[in-house]
Amino acid sequence: MTTSTSDAGFRTRVRTFLQDRAKPAGSPTGSSTEDLPRADASPLQEAKAFQRAVWDAGLAGITWPREYGGQGLSTDELVAYNQVAADFELPTIPLSIGMGMVGPTLVELGTDEQKARYLPPLLRGDEVWCQMFSEPDAGSDVAALRTRALRTADGWVVSGQKTWTSNAQWSDYGVVLARTDPSAPKHRGITMFVVDMHAPGVTVRPLVVATGLAPFNEVFFDGVALPADAVVGEVDRGWQAAVAMLRHERVSIGTRVQTRANALGFDSLTELVRSRRWPPDPVTRRQLADAHVREAAVLAYGQVLQAEVKAGIEAGARGSVAKLAGAELRLWQARLAQELLGPDIALGAPGTAAAALGIIAAPGVATAGGTNEIQRNIIAERILGLPKDGGIAARDTPFDQIRTTR
Amino acid sequence: MSLVRTEEQRSLAEIVRSFVAKRSPLSAIRVMITEGRAYDQDVWRTLSGELGLSGLIVPEHHGGTGGSWADLAVALAELGAGLVPSPLLASGVLVSGALMASDDEDVKAELLPRLADGSLLGALAVSEAESPRWIPDRPRTVARNDGDGVRLSGRKNAVLNGCEADVLLVQAVREGRSELHLVDRGTSGLSVTRTPAIDPTRSVASVELEDCLARPLAGDATAALSQLADLADFALAAEQVGALRACLEMTVQYAGSRFAFGQPIGAYQGVKHKLADMYTQWSLCDAALRVAAEAEGSAEQPTTAAAVRALTSSTYADAAQTAMLLHGGLGFTWEHDAHLYLKNAIAGNVLLGEPAERLERVALGLGLA
Repeated sequence: MTTSTSDAGFRTRVRTFLQDRAKPAGSPTGSSTEDLPRADASPLQEAKAFQRAVWDAGLAGITWPREYGGQGLSTDELVAYNQVAADFELPTIPLSIGMGMVGPTLVELGTDEQKARYLPPLLRGDEVWCQMFSEPDAGSDVAALRTRALRTADGWVVSGQKTWTSNAQWSDYGVVLARTDPSAPKHRGITMFVVDMHAPGVTVRPLVVATGLAPFNEVFFDGVALPADAVVGEVDRGWQAAVAMLRHERVSIGTRVQTRANALGFDSLTELVRSRRWPPDPVTRRQLADAHVREAAVLAYGQVLQAEVKAGIEAGARGSVAKLAGAELRLWQARLAQELLGPDIALGAPGTAAAALGIIAAPGVATAGGTNEIQRNIIAERILGLPKDGGIAARDTPFDQIRTTR
Repeated sequence: MSLVRTEEQRSLAEIVRSFVAKRSPLSAIRVMITEGRAYDQDVWRTLSGELGLSGLIVPEHHGGTGGSWADLAVALAELGAGLVPSPLLASGVLVSGALMASDDEDVKAELLPRLADGSLLGALAVSEAESPRWIPDRPRTVARNDGDGVRLSGRKNAVLNGCEADVLLVQAVREGRSELHLVDRGTSGLSVTRTPAIDPTRSVASVELEDCLARPLAGDATAALSQLADLADFALAAEQVGALRACLEMTVQYAGSRFAFGQPIGAYQGVKHKLADMYTQWSLCDAALRVAAEAEGSAEQPTTAAAVRALTSSTYADAAQTAMLLHGGLGFTWEHDAHLYLKNAIAGNVLLGEPAERLERVALGLGLA
């Protein structure tokens, strides 16, 4: 791959900045359970301070408009930044929803007032955002959401419950999808709003998952009043805004270079085997080689997708292919880790805590952002052009009205 | 940049695809197989002449077009998708590739132009029944000095297009060193027999050499064969990426047109999810192939080539079986093409080296050994 001089200069600038402000990837504490997000204040302070430094260095909002504090550069620079950043442990998780999803969506759909009010503080690391789509009864079928927003004289009142909300515990603002017209078809009666997470009636509770950690939250709305200008995009057109946001999420995931700290990745598993039995027996050696082959293919797919998007070839629903492939890889890695290190992991041998956590977390990683089944539906219907499942013909349908091959 | 197909590559793909559809459809291939022919002379004349595929990767000064691995992959994927029998892999890739990697300038100047224009057919004879590897470290076939000449004795198996070749490139040991030797067809003491192989679209032979007069190639054969192994893995993977895509397209088409219980079977998740998985796996193989093409000539070449082969060969074997299953009873009939892909995939999984050998090559590249 060739890199232009200006590209090399930009990379050098990013590297110099990160060497000064961040820990290198794979540093001793990097993959331990202690560094996973928790509902305490220190990661938040760390993230805010880091983002402030990014802002001061002129690297905040690389692709965002200059008038709202961004740098007005192209995705080339964003990709370059992320590739350099993969060599470091960046404390970005508390601000990731704002930077990767809400911000780009506000850039696209927000009013001038919304952009001027919300984007600069986001880029400075002063305000933290979350995104509230999923509900207890609306996961894969998120358009089935039941949170209601009722129109009042000067705005709206929101009631309902959201779940799987990352970062809500430290968010200042959030975007929420609520039903504004229950009599309309389900995709056409939804509106997206900006909510002040400190407003009366908003309650955030940690959601403890299988790992014992609480990386997500539940959010309850009990008659929360919103002003009329809290609407993002248009009233009853919230589904389109949500689709735009999910598109930004996929781009954000697609351009994000995997950090080298995956506890179930080839490097980590090889290190664990190396510390136990080396050189490995032929079966183990081939299993590790296979782990590399599969991991490299998923990375290759991301690179191809990125290169094609840059060349003007739409990614379309292929984001779902990347998502499914990554999820299946993680689940396969979890099985391999058990084959290679099962007893050590089961008995909590020293050095295996991160791998153990990775195995338990793998189904969650695979499900976050849409189950594998939903991704397969998307791939089959939007890429392969297969028909939607209409359900089997009703028992009482006359035979001459049932569609057949001929 | 090999990650995105160039305009020229897209047009090459289109040309080869339409040629295959018009001149070598599976119906014609079936007739050819029934008649016991290894390939169709007219098809080969066009592939090597008009389309110039036999000289695609041969340098211009040796009569080829000096194309890249990425160009080769595009052509091979289309031929693989159509299961087109031809000596291209055996002669235009394996033998030409081995010669290109060798140091024998005289032999290169003499043979490469004829291999490039398709007038000469070569076959590579390295594999031996006693060795677990496609290219043995120490072959049992021996070469001995005999006056001014060299004579070979031994047995080779799994020789692709051995029966059709004008010249064999044979690996043998002389005075403890692994070497490559040229043996002309018709040389006294040479006998070549077609193997009753599982895949009817490939002609495979066993070769017996009994004191055959041979011409040794100058230079380090081990290094040349190691280079060649990368190209072989890459090229076969390219064919299989195409064949995998053909299995997917054939089955998607069927799933959209076959109705059961009032709707196309492709509407059922039991069917559509398998096809989504097949598409995803094809996407990964195709991406790994592009990365391997980009690594041509770099330090990553051995690992990426072995990696794409390791991924693709096993994926294709599974996909060919899934394709047959999703066609139901129809897919199990002789009349349906599913079994042709299944047999091609089963043989392709072990041709030019078995799965374990490829993973060992990846492991070696990663420093796991």
